[in-house]
Amino acid sequence: MAESVLAVSGLRKTYGAAPAVDDVSFTLARGGSLGIVGESGSGKTTTARIIVGLERADAGTVTVGGHERSGRPVGRAARLRWAREVQMVFQDPFLSLDPRISVGDALAETLRLHFPGTDHGARTGELLDQVGLGGRAVTALPHELSGGQRQRVTIARALAVRPAVLVLDEAVAALDVSVQAQILNLLGDLRAELGVGYVFITHDLGVVRTVADDVVVMRQGRIVEAGPTDRVLAAPEHPYTRLLLESVPRPGRDPRRIAGARRALG
Amino acid sequence: MTTTVHRRPGFGRVRTRRPWLYLTCLFFTALAFGVAVAAPWLPLADPNLADLGAALAGPSGEHPLGADEAGRDVLSRLVLGSTTALFGPLAVVCFSTVLGVAVGVAAGWRGGWLDSVLSRGSELLLAFPGLLLAILFVALYGDGLLAPVLALSLAYLPYVSRLARSLTLVERERPYLAAYRVQGFSGLAICLRHLVPNIAPVVLAQCTLNFGYALLDLAALSYLGMGVAPGTPDWGVMVNTGQSAVLQGQPLSAVIPCAAIVATVVAVNVVGEHWADLVARRQR
Amino acid sequence: MNTLEIEDLRLTLPGTARPVLDGVTLAVGAGETVALVGESGSGKTLTSRAALGFLPRGAEVEGAVRVAGQDLLAMGARELRGVRALTVSMVFQDPRTALNPLRRIGDFLTESLRTNLRWSARRAGDRARELLDAVGLDERVLRQYPHELSGGMLQRVTIAAALMSDPALLLADEPTTALDVSTQAEIVALLADLRARFGTALLFVTHDLHLAAAISDRVCVMYAGRIVEAGPAGALFGTPRHPYTAALLASTPQVDQPRRRLDAISGQPPDLRTALAGCPFADRCRHATDLCRAEAPVSTAVDGGTVACHHHTRLTLEGITHHG
Repeated sequence: MAESVLAVSGLRKTYGAAPAVDDVSFTLARGGSLGIVGESGSGKTTTARIIVGLERADAGTVTVGGHERSGRPVGRAARLRWAREVQMVFQDPFLSLDPRISVGDALAETLRLHFPGTDHGARTGELLDQVGLGGRAVTALPHELSGGQRQRVTIARALAVRPAVLVLDEAVAALDVSVQAQILNLLGDLRAELGVGYVFITHDLGVVRTVADDVVVMRQGRIVEAGPTDRVLAAPEHPYTRLLLESVPRPGRDPRRIAGARRALG
Repeated sequence: MTTTVHRRPGFGRVRTRRPWLYLTCLFFTALAFGVAVAAPWLPLADPNLADLGAALAGPSGEHPLGADEAGRDVLSRLVLGSTTALFGPLAVVCFSTVLGVAVGVAAGWRGGWLDSVLSRGSELLLAFPGLLLAILFVALYGDGLLAPVLALSLAYLPYVSRLARSLTLVERERPYLAAYRVQGFSGLAICLRHLVPNIAPVVLAQCTLNFGYALLDLAALSYLGMGVAPGTPDWGVMVNTGQSAVLQGQPLSAVIPCAAIVATVVAVNVVGEHWADLVARRQR
Repeated sequence: MNTLEIEDLRLTLPGTARPVLDGVTLAVGAGETVALVGESGSGKTLTSRAALGFLPRGAEVEGAVRVAGQDLLAMGARELRGVRALTVSMVFQDPRTALNPLRRIGDFLTESLRTNLRWSARRAGDRARELLDAVGLDERVLRQYPHELSGGMLQRVTIAAALMSDPALLLADEPTTALDVSTQAEIVALLADLRARFGTALLFVTHDLHLAAAISDRVCVMYAGRIVEAGPAGALFGTPRHPYTAALLASTPQVDQPRRRLDAISGQPPDLRTALAGCPFADRCRHATDLCRAEAPVSTAVDGGTVACHHHTRLTLEGITHHG
């Protein structure tokens, strides 16, 4: 097995009475791609936010490249190191960019913070090129761009710090099908090119099929099934995974049976 | 969006849909501030020269707006008085906004105990009527504009800080701020560079409204004989000295400063309302 | 007579270079389900809103929108309100924003009948209980508030509310997008059930081709304000005739297809600021010729449906066959 870049172990987080994340453990191989699938309330987004450091776990550890991330980063050096370990792309491209800041300035800001004293102009051009945006985008404000273009900008911004792991939280869910395919292909190309590892949070099994080597299925804060994507999707072992698979709309499926199966799961 | 600009009842009803009203008010506001800045250099009669022969004179070539009880020229007192009448409230607005935004953003961003302390603190301030606080300060620190300006700045701080806090709470949930945190920016840098500029339009709209209230409050103070140093012309002082003229059947010297106060407050509020509406429309 | 007939609907907004809806023609018969599929900006939501007589302010309208034979575009505001209260109902995307959080479910369900038809509280309450039963909810729900229910239950409530006046036509605009996949299946099953039981015509608006195929008898695919292809769901998937339909199918990530690189459609849909000379899809289409860029294709009848492509007779496009 390949060396792991991200290891999550025994993660637990409780809001109020019910645990949002309960004993979640998995590893991500270096340059690998892991899908976390679940419905709303499954704890997949909380898991993602704990990994990037936007939430703190009540128990458990997150280790990136052998370095354990615990507590909160204190001081500039720690903040920058955390940032270079894990970056995140958010769901809604319309809300994840500062509306007043142009694309070029947004990238330059990050580059100034992480790589002071280097040529930001060249690197900005390179990043925009990598995500398939032309040089003209440099001066554009977010509202002048389409959803797909904005998501390309947020990907470029995340890659600017050269992270080891990129967490994508429903990163294509808000996009139209034709644009979604462009972004998924782009993400595939970038992984091959840069060797960055992906944690792909999604509710869409089709997306998992397309981007993830391995998949973790979460339900009510717990992992119910995990394994290589091919195996899990072809021969699901847990009834909940089977339910999710059967729920995918296709001609000739029987919604009534799905409703029955859902009730049976409780 | 659950936050709204705090308005005292009454002003909110001034509808600002008509562009000519907005433009007129904008022009008037600009003119008033222009005059206030240029006042010392304008060729005006000595505002404190008492010419008892002209007491309560009506408008004439010598006194275009008449003279007051002591025979002082109303026009030159009005123009020179605009300096304190306008820059006093401006100082109040500047102080209360800077402090209020700092307090509100800190409370909203950090949350927890800091939020509790700051929020309870500003609620405590809110419990004091602004004028009472100002009278207290004047009693403690004596005459002059500084004491009432500081007092009113404190009194107005909670309005700004509560607005800034609720805006911050809404804004900090937006993923673009979370993205900056993930990128490794410090909280201070995120607040100064991204959060404050994005909430600024709404806060500014509140500021223009506060300006009108502060002008009224300061005028009321100087009417009561507190505030500006004796001998300095001020609109509130002019209303006070004009009182007896009203009783003598010559209301002009009291009516003119009153009209100036009302016109300025209305003009600034219409401009502020218009800006608030623009912001609201942009956020839709 | 069809329940909904939209005929050559053309809608132009001020300050745009081309119509937002350009000759949209579609019909939904009684008890039939038609899906309207398109990406954002394709005009699918505008089309469905036109069936309620809602048109954007300042829009120039040509064509006809007939519900049960009456032309909505020729109606006054009062008649339109009557149509919305009685004949056409709508189910929205996000049930959480469609309900007033401070009112009980019972009030929400009965409000329209009591104010518009002056039904007594008792009669409206009986009807509400009947429909809650039809959508599979307990009548206890009547006394509950929206926050006490899950998203799936709330969507059942809004469906019940839409059916309260026994409408001839039900519009559903992405009614399952805000829900989880397994809940989505329940709501789709429910809609199919109710349509059969009440004979309601259903216009189902969605961005999801697969969902459209799963629920509907016929599918209309919209692109840049035009219906580029319409036909029976199965045929559309097996043998798409318009390159856009085929491209959409190829770019959708599939669970039950072998892993592959997606065939993304390059570029973006044309925006409203540019006028279109030819086929709206020409710039993104790999089969496009000079003819496509010069002349807009007209909608032609093919067996069971229509297609608007110059080359539909020449092209053999790849569809999707589902395994299992």
